[in-house]
Amino acid sequence: MAENVRSVIARNTWKENQVLRQILGICSALAVTNLMTNSLVMGLGLMFVTALSSLTISLLRNYTPYRIRMIVMTLIIASYVILVDIFLKANLPEISKALGPYVGLIITNCIIMGRAEAFAQKNPPLLSLLDGFFAGVGYTVVLLIISFFREFLGFGTLFGYEISFVSFEPWTIMVMPPAAFFIIGVLIWISSNLFAPKGKKKP
Amino acid sequence: MKDNPYYTIAFMLVVSAVFALMLSLTNEIYLPRIEANELLEDRRAVLYVFELDTEGEAEAVLDRFEEHVEEQTIADIQLYVHLDGEEVLAYAIPISGSGVWGTMNGYVGVSPDITQLTGLIFTEHSETPGLGGRIDETDFLEQFRGIDISEEVTLAYDDRLDAITGATGTSNSVLNILNNVLDEKIRELEVALNG
Repeated sequence: MAENVRSVIARNTWKENQVLRQILGICSALAVTNLMTNSLVMGLGLMFVTALSSLTISLLRNYTPYRIRMIVMTLIIASYVILVDIFLKANLPEISKALGPYVGLIITNCIIMGRAEAFAQKNPPLLSLLDGFFAGVGYTVVLLIISFFREFLGFGTLFGYEISFVSFEPWTIMVMPPAAFFIIGVLIWISSNLFAPKGKKKP
Repeated sequence: MKDNPYYTIAFMLVVSAVFALMLSLTNEIYLPRIEANELLEDRRAVLYVFELDTEGEAEAVLDRFEEHVEEQTIADIQLYVHLDGEEVLAYAIPISGSGVWGTMNGYVGVSPDITQLTGLIFTEHSETPGLGGRIDETDFLEQFRGIDISEEVTLAYDDRLDAITGATGTSNSVLNILNNVLDEKIRELEVALNG
């Protein structure tokens, strides 16, 4: 039951968005979204890791003994994460510092393991690459929406640039972690209304 | 064949070897660059506690450091000295201690007569981003400039100092580290300097 490319894209970006519909990867979505730049880099890192680990896992899927598949997945994911970490430290030291431990924690991001187990494990390599990549895109989009509100209202800037046409007292709460809870709650509410299966009575 | 235990072991070994090789190579390639970045970061931190300009390209920052700062060992403490010709303007003492999630390292600057702090900065820590991690923000760090330490003092969050928030252990860690340094290294330095 192979999916086509288009449904893979739509499913991962909107319909079954990893953060909003599957409630995965919440920890980092709350933590790194106070600045848009941090969110973008985190999102790019995750896109890279999910895409390549899904590809690799899918390439190896016919050779991997079933019993040790989880260990192999973790090994592959961890390797790509360390790669991202080294790259950031060498080329974007400022951002590497700002993201701190969260880059390393991409390893434990459930989105990646989720895609590996649920998709890459039983689908062809290129489709898995796309699936992983767009799962990452879905995550990045959500992070950017959250950080847009947090950075704009909390600092009055976007991607670090001063927004000068409006001036207001920055909302300190937006910079602090609770703000991410409020925003993510609202986003989950909206996306449930849009994408939840119709006809079922919700508890 | 896939259920054969020898196959399983061989497979795991091969996969591990391939990925380990890939990572070591990348690390090898990027290591000089990472080390250069870390050195630059460290130099900037020292310049910051001396109230010198920390901005600019890597080259300019390193030159500025060479020009104004000298590494010395006084009373077995490795420290940086801010010099203007022969005159000492300040000392930067390395500080280290445990934060909430890991070790925190940084520098604290003191005036040559050991009566004032000239600045505080953390170069390395793994505090929670957005919460304890806000000890990196200048609003917090700037408060430590000019704090009077001429009498035996234990620093606390009072009308001179605001914590980033009471909701993180990081706030206390910062004070503990500072007070330890005040109790030990800075007193030793004072004794060594005043004979």
